[in-house]
Amino acid sequence: MTGSQGFFERAFSLASLPSKPEALRGIRVLELATRIFGPATADYLGEFGAEVIKVELPGTGDLMRYVAPEGFYWQEISPAFLPQNRNKLHVGVDVRLPEGRDLFTRIAEKSDVVVENLRAGTMDRWGIGYRQLTENNPGLVYAANSGFGQWGPYAKGRASYDATAQAVSGMSAITGFPGHPPVRVGLWIGDFTGSLFSAIAILAALAARRRTGEGQLIDLAQAEALIRALDWTWLYADITGRDRERAGNRDVTFPPSGIYRCADGFVAVSARDEAERAALANTLGVSTATAEAVASFAAPRTRAEIVRAGEEAGFSAAPVQGGRDQYHNPHLRARGTVWELDDPLYGRIDEFGPVPKLSESPGRIKWTAKPVGYHNEEVFGGLLGLSGEEREELERKKVIGQWADVPGSRPPRGAAAGPADRGKKEGTSR
Amino acid sequence: MSGFEEWAKEATYPKNAEEKPEALPGVRLLELSPGHFGGMVAASVLGEFGAEVIKVEPPGGDPARSFAPEGITIAGTGLPFLSEARNRKFVTLSLETEEGRGIFRRLAATSDVVVETVGCTRMDSLGLGYEALSRENKALVYLTLSTYGAFGPDAGRRVTDSDILCQALSGVPYVTGDPEENGPGRDYQVPTRTGNWHGWFAQGLWGAFGVLVALAHRAATGKGQVVDVAGAEAMMKFVDYNITWMHTAGRERQRTGRFDPAVFPYTYIRCKDGYTFIAAYNNEAFESLMHIIGRPELANDPRFCTGPDRTRIENEKDLHAILEEWSGSRTAEEILREIEEYTSKKSGHGAAVVTGRVNRPLETLSEENWWERGCFSRVAGTVYGGLLLAAPPWKMSGTPPRIRSVCRKPGADNDEVYSTRLGMTGEEIISLHARGVL
Repeated sequence: MTGSQGFFERAFSLASLPSKPEALRGIRVLELATRIFGPATADYLGEFGAEVIKVELPGTGDLMRYVAPEGFYWQEISPAFLPQNRNKLHVGVDVRLPEGRDLFTRIAEKSDVVVENLRAGTMDRWGIGYRQLTENNPGLVYAANSGFGQWGPYAKGRASYDATAQAVSGMSAITGFPGHPPVRVGLWIGDFTGSLFSAIAILAALAARRRTGEGQLIDLAQAEALIRALDWTWLYADITGRDRERAGNRDVTFPPSGIYRCADGFVAVSARDEAERAALANTLGVSTATAEAVASFAAPRTRAEIVRAGEEAGFSAAPVQGGRDQYHNPHLRARGTVWELDDPLYGRIDEFGPVPKLSESPGRIKWTAKPVGYHNEEVFGGLLGLSGEEREELERKKVIGQWADVPGSRPPRGAAAGPADRGKKEGTSR
Repeated sequence: MSGFEEWAKEATYPKNAEEKPEALPGVRLLELSPGHFGGMVAASVLGEFGAEVIKVEPPGGDPARSFAPEGITIAGTGLPFLSEARNRKFVTLSLETEEGRGIFRRLAATSDVVVETVGCTRMDSLGLGYEALSRENKALVYLTLSTYGAFGPDAGRRVTDSDILCQALSGVPYVTGDPEENGPGRDYQVPTRTGNWHGWFAQGLWGAFGVLVALAHRAATGKGQVVDVAGAEAMMKFVDYNITWMHTAGRERQRTGRFDPAVFPYTYIRCKDGYTFIAAYNNEAFESLMHIIGRPELANDPRFCTGPDRTRIENEKDLHAILEEWSGSRTAEEILREIEEYTSKKSGHGAAVVTGRVNRPLETLSEENWWERGCFSRVAGTVYGGLLLAAPPWKMSGTPPRIRSVCRKPGADNDEVYSTRLGMTGEEIISLHARGVL
């Protein structure tokens, strides 16, 4: 281990992580959002210490709770709901009712950030949009995430999902194989990429607020986020007058870099510069490394053999990993990218950890998603100071509430109603 | 236009951005990302919000300038570099010389952020690692981008970072593309990369995010730190519930092509003029869609009654074929209009029938919407002419991001940066240049 390697192993040691400060401590984020694009934005901020209050409709809550892979629920919750809803306080409020709107407004007055992903203009119509909420809180940073933006020809009530963005942006048209249909990326990449763009703008807006005290409105359309991420597509179209073609698994900028079939799966072979191309050609025993030569080299060899050959010769290679490879990957666990969480309600649950590793104020997963309205008492009692009687009255009027008795919404079987483990500190355990 | 829409447009109109302040004025960023697109993305994003970005290139120019798909260049620079080289000052500096390394240290000492993609070990051996730089500048935020990250068992692996490596390790190709059917897969029935450099974009975006988090911490404490982003992990974060499903069910996500394990219909269907996306996966929306295609009885078909029924693979295939029977005789635009006409009378879950044409890039460019929204900018430059660029996607009322300048030649800003920032005289600069340091 070199000197710098030792320094980094110490600086990023997971053992010392819980004792380090959180960068966004003191930032309160109020989330009124569903699915991914919205919840993931707040989740990314929550990983670094922001307090996120997630508002859901009493009863069924965020409809993402019912997106369950192959209909599978674990301890009454969908594994697809968890990754974008960690470290949050879950409250159930019907903001369409006047008293619900009032509760939401009162929490917003005590918040630094609002994140929403409703159809454009909905929040304003409900009286809880940017214009209304900033009347008493001019420092509020308000992120309006949507498919097509808050204004413009396509903004009028047009709904969008991740794949709408993949489709209309042009991303799908350049993904896949020549002569075959365009390919939708097999995950909600438009949502998660959009969420990251949104979280970046929120942090930039908070930096501006540190100087001026002023908040602002952020209007981010997920299709537009993907347009920004299509690298040379637009210059190419403009200069040649042609569409960029689908190139399958070849990266046409760095031939013959690409993904190749090998004996035990698939492997990426990469030669980004002249030295790597020469090393690759040398390994292949040819004068110029072609895709055909790489394919025949890879076919009888395993992923590990090809990676090793690259390390010895001076080109680069890496396995095409799936979820199983990642889950069992010691490197990802040592980095907290696969995060081992001891959740107070669900027990041991492994999740994706924070992506950027920070040496002084690292991110962390403190608890995973909870049933609808699980933290009503903390938020309405603690933050807003409502008495038990006031809360009961609001519950009776169905302004606030907790989970419906269905999988996806309710607590695990055997758990007491409400946060039974309230005395137990929700914290990181590794 | 509703009152809110009108107000929001006025408040966030990108063409008014120049009259407004920026979010990150005074943040000085030093970029060292030779031959690396992810590092450029990280610096660009911060630059779009107002950070002053100084890009350090070797005296011959950044190797990334020669990235040239189909061999296309403008005045010797390829399209990828031109697309991302916005909002920068371009200086040259040879880190092969002791003098050059000394100048880099002086630049870093007066910077808030360093972005590097050459690797911590290499930076350390040059005397430019975080430990060395932070000794002079305790508040420095140091972003390092690599394939595997700066620590952990694989951190020492010998690779030159690239988009394809980040993609392969992320798990995105693993779940993208057509599955094999009936025996050995055809050439296209394989794990499929995204056509764009999404691996490098995700890496750069997470880098910018990490820097902003670190700047927040610095504002509170005065302390800088290292931000370590592994490209492999950047897009991995986007692979939905891969890890939680493995943990809770021991199942990993597979490649399902047109089909989806959790929501259906949520797919592309062939139409008269190409392909369009169609989604209607909750019960109410599905019923709406069946009305729209003139098959209301299918809402009660035992194959399609509930979400779990609709996400059984054989039923997904049946439903896909039924949808294409309908869509084949319509254009994407006609499908959009039929759906909007129906859903505009609905509200709530029943309105969640969603569509959008699978646009080729030229089709996206031909749609007025994106131009009106300021998504594209044609920016004039002295060296490379006017360049069509994807603009910053955020519309912001207070401190909107913007493109201030486009690509220039290596060293174009040597005089300005070295004289104003480091106080060098013209003679010194000429001498350094003559000796190959600049």
